[in-house]
Amino acid sequence: MSESTLFLRKATGLVRSWSVFDAFIYAFFSINLVTLGFYIISQMYFFEGGLIPALVISGIIILAEVVVYAGLIAVMPRAGGDYVWQSRILGGGLGFVLAVTGWWFILWLWTPLYADMLRHIFFVPLLGVLSLKDAALWFAGDANAFFLVCVLTAVFVTIIIALGMKTYARMQKFCFWVGNAGLLVVCLFLLLSNNDAFRAGLEANATKYFGAPPGVYEATLAAGEAAGAITPLMGGSLTAIFLAMPYLVFFNLWPNWGATLYGEVKGADDFRRNLQGMAWALIATTLLGVIFFLLVNKTITWDFYTKANAAYWSYRWGFSESAPPMGSVWPYPAMLAMFVTTNPFLQFVVLLAMSMWFFGWAGTVFLSSTRVIFAAAFDRLLPEAVATIEPRTRTPIWALALMIVPGLIVSALYVYNVANFASLTLASTLVIAVTYLGSTVAAILLPYTKKDLYEASPIAKYKVAGVPLITVAGVIFALFLVFLLYQWLLDPNALYGIGYSINENGYKNGTSLVFMGVMYLLAVIIYVGAKMYRKNQGVDLDLVYKEIPVE
Amino acid sequence: MTRLFFATDVHGSEICWKKFLNAGKFYNVDVLILGGDMTGKALVPITQLPDGRYKATLLQQQFLLNTEDEVRDMERRVGSRGYYPFRVTPEQLAEFEADPAKVDAFFHQQMLSVLEKWMGLADEKLNGSGKRCYVCPGNDDSPETDEAVLRSKHVQLAEGKVVELGDGFQMVSTGWANITPWKTYRELSEPELAAKLEAMIPKGVDMRKMVFNFHCPPYGSNLDEAPEIDADLNVKEAGRALIPVGSTAVRDMIMKYQPLLSLHGHIHEGKGTARLGKTLSINAGSLYEQGVLQGALVELDARKGIKSYTLTTG
Repeated sequence: MSESTLFLRKATGLVRSWSVFDAFIYAFFSINLVTLGFYIISQMYFFEGGLIPALVISGIIILAEVVVYAGLIAVMPRAGGDYVWQSRILGGGLGFVLAVTGWWFILWLWTPLYADMLRHIFFVPLLGVLSLKDAALWFAGDANAFFLVCVLTAVFVTIIIALGMKTYARMQKFCFWVGNAGLLVVCLFLLLSNNDAFRAGLEANATKYFGAPPGVYEATLAAGEAAGAITPLMGGSLTAIFLAMPYLVFFNLWPNWGATLYGEVKGADDFRRNLQGMAWALIATTLLGVIFFLLVNKTITWDFYTKANAAYWSYRWGFSESAPPMGSVWPYPAMLAMFVTTNPFLQFVVLLAMSMWFFGWAGTVFLSSTRVIFAAAFDRLLPEAVATIEPRTRTPIWALALMIVPGLIVSALYVYNVANFASLTLASTLVIAVTYLGSTVAAILLPYTKKDLYEASPIAKYKVAGVPLITVAGVIFALFLVFLLYQWLLDPNALYGIGYSINENGYKNGTSLVFMGVMYLLAVIIYVGAKMYRKNQGVDLDLVYKEIPVE
Repeated sequence: MTRLFFATDVHGSEICWKKFLNAGKFYNVDVLILGGDMTGKALVPITQLPDGRYKATLLQQQFLLNTEDEVRDMERRVGSRGYYPFRVTPEQLAEFEADPAKVDAFFHQQMLSVLEKWMGLADEKLNGSGKRCYVCPGNDDSPETDEAVLRSKHVQLAEGKVVELGDGFQMVSTGWANITPWKTYRELSEPELAAKLEAMIPKGVDMRKMVFNFHCPPYGSNLDEAPEIDADLNVKEAGRALIPVGSTAVRDMIMKYQPLLSLHGHIHEGKGTARLGKTLSINAGSLYEQGVLQGALVELDARKGIKSYTLTTG
């Protein structure tokens, strides 16, 4: 028997442990292959770097992010995440600006993006399979329908928040199993079928459900070719592979989303459990993506899939004037896979199961935001009212209003493409990456600027060549983030379209820069305004995060 | 104007206790209030090896301590997390392992010894400062805690009492809580807790000048959200399933009497504020393991009531 190293008494909060698998589920849904993954990968038709190497290499690099966040959580658990880490280590002003832009304001832009995914993986395919062609095409191509789905997304998330985290956690588990069962069936169809069956199925189903003209397969190939589809599944130079990543991270940069640690921290096990939950989610999702697209290549063919995407997006973005053969129907790979059968009941059941990937994930859009709004209100940077809970429904109505109202305004700008607002998709990732950079810098500095805090934490002994592991991982992840930000903002190869491209052929996206600039400015105004207002009330907000001397 | 600083749940962290004592000068307050759960939860043995060196395990990491300075540093690190370090021989450790009653007795001895030291520090720091300091032990604190506090010259035991805060404001305090899964020292069923609270709340006083300092937060106030646990005390859904665990009795008393302010702790994750009718309720939360003292700074004005408040992470 090993000798005792700790004697505990019965005291409140002394919990035992938690399931790594439960932590895995949340992280797995945060880097959601079916929603985020399929959505952004479909837009990546014009890259020279292979999708699979880009997936794998970016996944390996993002493991450094997992180490950084698992480390921060182990050192400062239950602390409020990026907001408190940055406020504590980098100062209250920077912490506030980076947290509210990355965890609140930019989520307004995510509202139409979530809605776009919802309509294309839920409404359009299911209505199509139910032979409600006109309704399916309305949801697929009509701007008003798109805006309606934005409203429905906001309503769904409001209901989730009103139901509470306990219900949502259980619902996520249900969605996890059902969604994965659906994906397994889709993979089996892809595995056991062949390209001839797919071609025949596409002809039959696309014509029947969406009114596509005969010869849709060949027509799609031609349209995709004309649209400039070039992204390979494998291969590409290392440079080309890295240049695909500023797109791909829209999908896989979030294994840390919502990572938590509750109860008393007992030791390194707590660090390792969080690390494992997030890391396994990243690894499993990456492998799942690799397997899925290899199966797509086998039956649908990567060539067809990329060209279908190119035909769709080049028309939607206005680069091509001729409508794709499938019209405004997004080439949702699960739907394409289910076209190998003509059994509508089976198609409906599997596609409904696949939609659980959305419903188990969608709560993420506002849940973290409401927490940041609450934290800022508790710090007196926002009015107290925004942290109130409506007693009957137990819903944070004001915090939700601060998400939903601007979210729907931004949705309208995006849906109706005001000032080319629909080009801002990647800005949704850029702003959060800036916030992550703030936390990563805080993590790099932590062992040196908060020595006592770090030394008394369970990660103090993890070192690489004598340098704290959190610092080493932080430097790796920070370099990656700086690379991403450089590519997004200066866009030297004219690939991303959300910055001020230094390439003469590149896009200088004033709308994007103004939108992001306004968000940062708004955050600064709120912070400075709140400080001045509170000062007049006799409250010194500088004291909020100032450390009290010990001696 | 009365300025008060409220903190809670320091759980044996000497760093947090020292910060609490220094908070009076740091935040320029008149009254310091500690809301309960002062004592630590764990003993960490530092075992002497046959060659004279020591070994200890902190946060599941083993340390070999070669010098007296290293041992002292380890004792400091253990203490900074709110745990009680103690030096033992392998034989003494074996005796502890064989006899839980002996561990329990030693735990009490350590808790009281640290409390005595803390009260000494408080007397030193507060002497001549003009600041008042109230402490109300919480559900995790044994009854002997009260006796240790009573021996202090400058720290006043607030349990069950109505005390004057200044400018006509009064405060009534208790560390008793509703039943928890851990079966701690000061727990009562909700009806019993309601009766206890009812008995201690003064009648016929101006509730607009009353502060309830109740360790346990009101049920369903968002100040009482804790991760759901199963019968074996494992956290469910990796900590994402948060449920209200506060006291209905505390909530009922707040709703019935509508004091100006209510101060709470107990649920470390529950940092925040809430309005229950006219009452501003605050849970200062706790990050004691990190040596971070979370608190609430409140300015009470004889005419306006609460002039301002701020939650701090000090």
